[in-house]
Amino acid sequence: MTLILALETSCDDTCAAVVSADGELRSNVISSQGVHDAFGGVVPEIASRHHLELANAVVDDALRRADATLDDVGLVAVTQGPGLVGALLVGVATAKAIAAARGLPLAPVDHLQGHIAANFLRIGADSGAGGIMAPPFVCLLASGGHTLLARVEQYDGFSVLGRTLDDAAGEAFDKGARLLGLPFPGGPALERLARDGDPHAFAFPIARNLDGLDFSFAGVKTSLLYRVRDLGPQDAAAHAADLAASFQHAIVEALALRCEQALEQTGLRRLAIGGGVAANGPLRTRLEQLAVTVGIPPRELCTDNAAMIASAARFVDAQPFPAYLSLDAYASGERALA
Amino acid sequence: MIVLGFDTATPATAVALLDDTHPAAAAELRHEPAAGERPGHASQLLALAAQLLATTGLRFTDVDRLAVGLGPGTFTGLRIGVATARALAQSTSAELVGVSTLHALALPAESAAERAGADFGVLAVIDARRGEAFAAGWRGGRAVLEQVALAPAKLARRVAEEGGSWLAVGDGALRFRDDLERAGCTIPTDGSEQHAVSARAVCRLALEAPQGTARDLVVPDYLRPPDAVLASPPKKPSS
Ligand SMILES: [Zn+2]
Repeated sequence: MTLILALETSCDDTCAAVVSADGELRSNVISSQGVHDAFGGVVPEIASRHHLELANAVVDDALRRADATLDDVGLVAVTQGPGLVGALLVGVATAKAIAAARGLPLAPVDHLQGHIAANFLRIGADSGAGGIMAPPFVCLLASGGHTLLARVEQYDGFSVLGRTLDDAAGEAFDKGARLLGLPFPGGPALERLARDGDPHAFAFPIARNLDGLDFSFAGVKTSLLYRVRDLGPQDAAAHAADLAASFQHAIVEALALRCEQALEQTGLRRLAIGGGVAANGPLRTRLEQLAVTVGIPPRELCTDNAAMIASAARFVDAQPFPAYLSLDAYASGERALA
Repeated sequence: MIVLGFDTATPATAVALLDDTHPAAAAELRHEPAAGERPGHASQLLALAAQLLATTGLRFTDVDRLAVGLGPGTFTGLRIGVATARALAQSTSAELVGVSTLHALALPAESAAERAGADFGVLAVIDARRGEAFAAGWRGGRAVLEQVALAPAKLARRVAEEGGSWLAVGDGALRFRDDLERAGCTIPTDGSEQHAVSARAVCRLALEAPQGTARDLVVPDYLRPPDAVLASPPKKPSS
C-alpha cells in the first residue's frame, strides 16, 4: 500500500491528511487553533507557535485515522507557499524531516493549486474515478486570504482569469461583520444574521464596471461603513439583519457575476468552487442556479486542509531524497503553472 | 550511542555528530550567513545533517539520540530546529533531548575554566534584538544566573550584583561589550570561536541527560511572549 501523507500550515489551521496514490481520501485532520479570535485576526507568531506544538500529533492522528503507519507512506507532500512564512516553515521543516528520515520523496505543493486539486479527490465508494470534478472547468477560489478565478485545463496547473484588486472576499465578510458588531471570524456570523434580513433593503455596489474578470471589495465595505454611520447607532442596530443581508447579497452577486462571465468567455460548462467562502449558503444557492454543472467539495475540503495538498501532490514532480533538503517556503506570489 | 545535535537559535546553523565511544572526535558543520544575508536555517539544517551523516556512512535511522538547542534565540530559527528534531524523532526510533542554547554556548568556556582551575563564571549572552539580551550564567558547574531577557544595562547590574569575575561569550556579549565590560566582564576578541554556539556542545549536553524527553514536551524556550495586541471589543451599533 502506497499512501501520500500531506501537511498544510499556511495560515492558522494545522492540517495533515492521508490520500491513496489514486486520489482516495483516507483521512483529513484539521486542528483549528481558535486562539486568534480575541485578537480580531490571525497573529502570525501565535499561529507559528501552535503549528509547532500540534504538527506531529496531527500527523499521528491522520495516520491513525487512515489505519496506516509511516511504513505505508510512499510520498510526503507539503504546502510550500504562499502563506504566512513562519507558519509555512513549520510544515516544510516537519515534512522534510519525515521524508528524509525515511528516504522518501517529497512533493512541494502550491497552496492555490491545492485548493483546485480538492476537486480531484475521490471520497468514499460512491464517487467516480475522476473525483468531484475533472478538468476542464472554471474554478472560483474565495477565502479570507485569496479570491481568484482560474481556468483549469489540466490536473497540474491553472491559468488566472481574475483576482481581487484589494480585499479577499472572506476578508470583506470579516470586515463587514466587524462594522456590524459581530465577533471575528465574522463570515459565518454575518450569514446567520443575514437570514432574517432583506437582501434588497440597501443597495451596495457590486463593482460591475471593473474591466476583465477581476474583483474589488473595497467599495462595498466602505459603502457599508458610511451606511452604518449615516443610520446612527440606534437605527443601524434596528436594521442590522437588513444591512447584513444586503451586504452579503452584494458580495455574492459580485462573485456570481464574474463566474458567469468566466464561463461565457471560456465556453466551459463546468464550475467548481473552493475556499472558506464556498461554505456560504446564499453563494452556493446562487451558483447552483447557473445553467452549468457546479461542483462544491464538502466544507472541510473547501477551507484550508491537507487532503487537497495530497491530492495536488499526485500531479506534482516529486523530488527524490536528498534533492529537497534545501527546500524553503515562499510567502507570496501565485504559481500559475499552465 | 550516536548523537545528532543541532542549534538554530542564532543566525548560524550548526550541526554535529557525536559517537559516545569517541566523544572528542565529534564532527561539526556550520553555516554562517554573510553580513546582511538572512539566516540559512530552512535551507541549511537538514542538508548539513545529511551531509554529516553521509561522511560517516550513517543514515538518519542510525541516530540514537537527537539533540536540539531550545533557545532562547530567533523565534523562526528555533521553530525550524525544533520542528526538524521532533519530526526526525517521529520518523525514527531516536530519543529526543532539548538543551539550553545558552548552556551550549557557555560549555566550551566553562570546560576550559574547569581545566585551568580558574574561578571565573561564564556568562552566555545572545543578542535578542530590540535592544535586549538573552543571558544565563554558570560558575563551577552550577547555574548561578537563570535565563533572562534583559536590557544590557540591567544585565550588567545583575552581573555586578552577582560579583566575582566573569567571562562573557556570544553575539550578545559582542553587541553589548561596553555595558558588560563596565560591569567587570572579560570578553574574548570579536573573532573568537567562543562566541559561536557549538553543536558539539549541544550533543555533549544531551549525552548527560539520563533519557529522552516526550516529543510533544520539546518546545522552544522563547523567553518572550508573541507580539500581539488584543483587539478592542467590536463596537456594537447599539452602544
Ligand atoms: Zn486557502
